[in-house]
Amino acid sequence: MKILYSWLKDFIDLDLTPEELVKKLTDLGIEVASVETTGADFEGVHVAQIIKIEDHPDSDHLHLVTLDLGGGKTQRVVCGAPNVAVGQKVPLARVGARLGKTVLKAAVIRGVESEGMICSSDELGLTQTRARGIMVLDENLPLGTDVSSLYGKPDSLFDLEITSNRPDLLSHLGVARELGALLNKPVKLPEVKNVKGEGKALEVEIQNPQGCPRYTGRIIRGVKNAESPEWMKQRLAAMGLNPKNALVDVTNYVMFELGNPLHAFDLREVEGGKIIVRNAQEGEKFTVLGGRELTLNANCLMIADAHKATALAGIMGGLDSGIKDDTQDIFIEAAYFDAPTVNKTVKKFAISSDSSQRFERGTDIEGVTLAMQRATDLFLQLCGGTASEVVDVYPTRYESPVVTFTPAEINAILGAQIPEERLKEIFSRLAAEFHADGEKWTFKAPTHRRDLNHKWDLAEEAARFAGYDMIPVSETKASLAFADNPKGIDVGKKYAAALIGAGFCECKNIDFLGEKELKAFGVDPKFCIKIKNALAQGWDYMRPVLLPALLKNVESNFRFGNHNLALFETTKTFQSIKGFPVEGYAVAGVLTGTLEQEKFFGGALRPVDFYWLKGLMEALFADVEGVTLVPSKTAPVYMHPKICMDIVFGGKVIGVFGKVHPLTLKTFGIKAQDVWAFEFTTKLLEKAFSAQDFKPAKDVAVFPPSLRDLSVVLDETVPYAAVTSALDKTPLDVDMTYHLIDLYQGEHLPQGKKSVTFSLAFSSPKGTLKDKEVDAAFNRIVEQLHTQVGAELR
Amino acid sequence: MTINEFKSACSAIEQEYKTKIGQAADSAAVEELRVAALGRKGALTELLKGLKDFSIEEKKEAGPLGNALKAKLAAALDEKTEFFAAKEINDELNKVTLDLTLPGYPVAKGHRHPLSVAQDRMTTILSRLGFEWAEGPWVEDEKHNFDLLNIPLHHPARDAQDTFFVDSKMPLVLRTHTSNVQSRYMEKHKPPLRIMAPGRVFRNDSLDATHSPVFHQIEGLYVDKNVSLADLKSDLSAFMKGLFGNKAEIRFRPSFFPFTEPSVEVDVKCVFCQGKGCNVCKGSGWIEMLGAGVVHPNVLRNCGIDPEVYSGYAFGMGVERLAMMMLNIKDIRTFYENDLRVLKQF
Repeated sequence: MKILYSWLKDFIDLDLTPEELVKKLTDLGIEVASVETTGADFEGVHVAQIIKIEDHPDSDHLHLVTLDLGGGKTQRVVCGAPNVAVGQKVPLARVGARLGKTVLKAAVIRGVESEGMICSSDELGLTQTRARGIMVLDENLPLGTDVSSLYGKPDSLFDLEITSNRPDLLSHLGVARELGALLNKPVKLPEVKNVKGEGKALEVEIQNPQGCPRYTGRIIRGVKNAESPEWMKQRLAAMGLNPKNALVDVTNYVMFELGNPLHAFDLREVEGGKIIVRNAQEGEKFTVLGGRELTLNANCLMIADAHKATALAGIMGGLDSGIKDDTQDIFIEAAYFDAPTVNKTVKKFAISSDSSQRFERGTDIEGVTLAMQRATDLFLQLCGGTASEVVDVYPTRYESPVVTFTPAEINAILGAQIPEERLKEIFSRLAAEFHADGEKWTFKAPTHRRDLNHKWDLAEEAARFAGYDMIPVSETKASLAFADNPKGIDVGKKYAAALIGAGFCECKNIDFLGEKELKAFGVDPKFCIKIKNALAQGWDYMRPVLLPALLKNVESNFRFGNHNLALFETTKTFQSIKGFPVEGYAVAGVLTGTLEQEKFFGGALRPVDFYWLKGLMEALFADVEGVTLVPSKTAPVYMHPKICMDIVFGGKVIGVFGKVHPLTLKTFGIKAQDVWAFEFTTKLLEKAFSAQDFKPAKDVAVFPPSLRDLSVVLDETVPYAAVTSALDKTPLDVDMTYHLIDLYQGEHLPQGKKSVTFSLAFSSPKGTLKDKEVDAAFNRIVEQLHTQVGAELR
Repeated sequence: MTINEFKSACSAIEQEYKTKIGQAADSAAVEELRVAALGRKGALTELLKGLKDFSIEEKKEAGPLGNALKAKLAAALDEKTEFFAAKEINDELNKVTLDLTLPGYPVAKGHRHPLSVAQDRMTTILSRLGFEWAEGPWVEDEKHNFDLLNIPLHHPARDAQDTFFVDSKMPLVLRTHTSNVQSRYMEKHKPPLRIMAPGRVFRNDSLDATHSPVFHQIEGLYVDKNVSLADLKSDLSAFMKGLFGNKAEIRFRPSFFPFTEPSVEVDVKCVFCQGKGCNVCKGSGWIEMLGAGVVHPNVLRNCGIDPEVYSGYAFGMGVERLAMMMLNIKDIRTFYENDLRVLKQF
């Protein structure tokens, strides 16, 4: 809402500077987005011409400038501007001139007396930033011209951000009322003549009194449409409107002044002598001003005549019903339309106007009377004509709720100690019907303040007008029973910490995906949550998987010049199951390039490969009993069909890891580099997690183990798992652990054979093992491997 | 040999060998001295052989004297031996010429996302102030995102939220704020309650330097008997001290949110210029940090809590805003680009 300072002063006496006013408004919770100053805030500055420039005797940058003031008078001043030149016409302020708040006095500058100054544009307040030199005026201006006459009166235009609970502030009167309550100053309503009028207005029938609780109107016949006067045009232009003609401009003017939107119809277009306020028929067509045709539904409230609709109530007139240049008789409407009713139609058609913005927030139902009278006066004054009587259909008078409360309750909400007298002062300025006679106080809000309905609303008013600084800082007093974080959060943090420890960087991605990515991941869009009003194509679905976004991160990082990547993300994923949204947490990561970020002098780069990824997965799940990694029977479409494993927990596949399918990489524009990936959901893992779970430590072996290496040769087709299964099943009298230390195929071995080398550790809790005990166990293992997998000792 | 002769022989040996040990040039010289003094034919050994000719009384005096000297010389020799052993090792080490100025090998170090860094800091402080972590769905029904929070269907306040609507039979939206956790939590729990709800929210805003359709908020809610705006001020004051240090100061400005009454905008005194005015605070000395207020009685009522018995406060704060300010990130898109060169800095 734009507020013009001079207009505001029509309603309240203010002597605040624009800066002071901004401060007051801000303190009241009205944000001021910008302040524009216009006009000339100076006096006694005249056009003069430079006729001579001499050097200052005591300075190398100051000059002594002689000016012709006209009428044969000259004057010498000191001037330091770099752009002075003989012949220029300039604004000269002489002693006694006023520039903003300062009055110019004679000054001695480096020993030379200067009885005035040549002004720059910022010294005159015409520009906000510092000017580089003196202002040079039009050379055709007569000498002696009052420079202020070139710029009009000083004024300020405030752009206020009005919150949706305060529609009363969408007018100059409203802002004046707010300031009046703050500064304890009376608000002057515009004087109106209360023209009674002659003859009947149109008949008005309200078919939907809920949508339109009050409708008033009057005819003015014999108007002469004309251009609006300059003052009105200037004010409307400041509001951001293009002035049209007096008949249209008056309705807008009154709206910006008082806050009640008005509408003027050309009487010729109102057929049957009747106004009907009714709901539209389902499917009814209506063309609004500007030519857009709307297909209405039964929720749309219309203004109609006996035959047809003429306006979308409170929002916009019809294409044909408006004021024309040759309009002679008009019908003025001043009404109150129900806010939600207007909002529904506004939203349905994404159509909006200054009028609808006020109605959908709530206007002053009683203010309608004043607005009609004010408009009448202006119409008659500017366009002439004869007014009819006012028709006023207002079946049920609106009553503001009466709030009953105690001052203690107000202070309890605020945690403050505002004295009762101060509270009385504040509330009595806000409402005429405020009574503080007994223990219980009553407050009945004026009809323009529909936001004051209970004691909490009044507490806010008390705080706004008393100032929020009076709210003290008390002690933090809460302490509640301890509660764990949601498990999904803690489990996500656990894996994030583990991955960061393993060298991964955390990513955060926007949760939207397109069909292309879903298809690449083999996801049927019907199981995804679709956004109705997506911002862009490709952002239509809430992501059911995290990897697509990470692959995009890989692609963009390649472009940024980062080729060795270990990235992860942990966040929610979304599915639609039988039409219901289902959310879960997932963890996903991608790896590409080498483990080291860049080449280094001390060794070779280690490229990421499957076994590194598998090792990571083993480490990640080492502390969760029951997680197994199993080769995928059928790898998902986005993964390499042969290099992919399932992460299984509780008999369910909770995720996969492996090499990303080259066609998937192609879809994401990733070239020339293999990418390894994993993704798993954490819902089931949450069951194995407890924030309070302290796992007891296992004893470590007291007696040192005996170590033996074991190399066996077997068919290359025998999978490693078969070998370890045989090892695990070997019956032994001692404890044994093993790990793979070498795998070899080639030169020194027969075709089709491979060599597998284990490091075996034998131990016993009873004591250090003797060589022959170790030998016996070792031999049993060799025998077992021979019979189970055909292995020969190498 | 008289006892006196024995004594003077002892001190002569002590004198001689102390000097010689002190002058020994290497460990071999020390070993030679050990043989010369304490060996089978060593000077002290030879002298001690003479003890056998002394009377018992004399033995009592001379014996310990001789043994003490033996121990003393042995200790002095051992000390010298150790000295040369250490010296040899150190001489060897000092020959090493490793270029310590070469760079270290690249150790893969992971990094937390800057938004996580900021969020972790905030949740840690709130957690210390007694706030329990609560969660709510991101795909939310309109009832919990709007209706229960006193944002009626046909009201401009609802339109102002730039909502993403979900294509579904139910009225579902992507939650526009973390405040849905308020309604979710209060439906299930009765006061006293004190929760924080960090998480993602969605607004139908095009991605540019200062807007993102996805961003993060942290919600706070405290409901109990006699909770007032002053409690909000004190808790937020403590929170800001946690974030910015003990000098942090806050102020309230009136504002409007449908789910709080009274509503306030909370500013913190500019942490970059201590309120003097700078680029970050645009000369005002204050930085707008969050919106808050006393929980609207309709919200409590809608969630089955009697506003005449209980009262509460709520606040909601943007994580990106704080992270941008504190981490000197000028473009919100930086957070969602995941450029390794940026991620590695945190």
